[in-house]
Amino acid sequence: MRTKLFVLALAATAFLTAPASADKLDDIISSGKLRCAVVLDFPPMGSRDADNNPVGFDVDYCNDLAKALGVEAEIVETPFPERIPALMSGRVDVGVASTSDTLERAKTVGMSIPYFAFEMAVTANDEAGISSFEDMKGKVVGAVAGTFEGIALEAQVNEWGEGEYRPYQTQADVFLALSQGQIDATVSTSTVAQANVKSGKFSGISVAGKAPFDTDYVALFTNREEYGFLNYLNLFVNQQVRTGRYAELYEKYVGGDLPELTVPNVYR
Amino acid sequence: MPQLLEGALVTLEIAVLSMVIGLFIAVLFTLFRLSGIRVLNAFAVSWIEIARNTPALFQIYMAHFGLGSFGIHLSPYAALLAGIAFNNAGYLSENFRGALKAIPDTQTRAGRSLGMTWLQSFRLIVMPQMLRVAFLPMTNQMVWAILMTSLGVTVGMNTDLAGITQALNARSFRTFEFFAIAAVIYYIIAKIVTLGARLIASRMFRY
Repeated sequence: MRTKLFVLALAATAFLTAPASADKLDDIISSGKLRCAVVLDFPPMGSRDADNNPVGFDVDYCNDLAKALGVEAEIVETPFPERIPALMSGRVDVGVASTSDTLERAKTVGMSIPYFAFEMAVTANDEAGISSFEDMKGKVVGAVAGTFEGIALEAQVNEWGEGEYRPYQTQADVFLALSQGQIDATVSTSTVAQANVKSGKFSGISVAGKAPFDTDYVALFTNREEYGFLNYLNLFVNQQVRTGRYAELYEKYVGGDLPELTVPNVYR
Repeated sequence: MPQLLEGALVTLEIAVLSMVIGLFIAVLFTLFRLSGIRVLNAFAVSWIEIARNTPALFQIYMAHFGLGSFGIHLSPYAALLAGIAFNNAGYLSENFRGALKAIPDTQTRAGRSLGMTWLQSFRLIVMPQMLRVAFLPMTNQMVWAILMTSLGVTVGMNTDLAGITQALNARSFRTFEFFAIAAVIYYIIAKIVTLGARLIASRMFRY
């Protein structure tokens, strides 16, 4: 009898205390602080300026999110492989870290709708007379060996049956070769292309257009069971686009054609 | 596998061509250094100094990107060939210099006293002996040339053994398998070259 009562009492306490806990959205607002995981060696999305302060597209997105929540933003630097562990161990509340929304990752964390997309862009030497992806047919092209776009470009050159593909070891080598005219064009992510063209280190090159390779969509992420917060993140991404903030930041950090964040013929 | 063997052929082709060019330049340099003409000597010495005291990777890189910045565009193939030939020429001239020292001066003088011109005595008396002494070190350099071709991947070479291996690796991520096969092929080529050279040497230089 005694033990039964004790168990009952225990169950009663458990029942009474459980619903009292708030969800993550409440926690963030009441703590007055939003901790974002950001990768800071991935310009223009995240890097450090001359004074060692974090800057970049992802940093501004974190600040915008904190402002919307009415709290203070705290940037937690995380290298690429550390992003998800940082969330799982409770060091950050949300990842604003150019994270591709793969199904594999979604088993572990909850992904928002895409907030940014890395499109593949064609960068050409100004003297090569290339103004679109198709113009590369029959030309000498190059990319970083073994990367997604490098493999796709090589396959494309083989399909065309003319021209030549040259793999280089680093992105810098590719742009050096391009600027010297060793190769006529290259394919890279649009952010890399714009950053290198803008940097002024490589003269005589410009972004010629989009390459029809798969777009790499990236999403914000948080704990997968935090539906309240995920819902907030989705709306935040939507609002950023609606208010023109997305376009503004894209122009500031990347420039050129704004990538579409939706996929035709399907929801989300 | 057939792709790798095709790559091995390209590797061998570059190595052989670079050796032929290197040999030609090295003989020329030996003459330059013997000629006593200051400018020619200085040119040969500075080439040899650079070729022997900088990494081959750097030399190939310079042939591609270095010349590229002056608007001279070499294809990866040509840049690789030029880089290795440059390197070979430097090392081979040093081999020849050593070999030349092994042949007493008196032989040239003897030739001259028989009424030969200086060039004749070099060509008919000194050079054959010099080549004999320098032959085995030359095969070493040949092996080196084969192995150096693998540096072509840095300048966008994708048809030689190393380039093909890397491309296959990028596509399949079966790194260990492909690199192991490539290593075995390199080993076999190098071994064939050394053994072949021994055979030729034993035939050619019989007393």
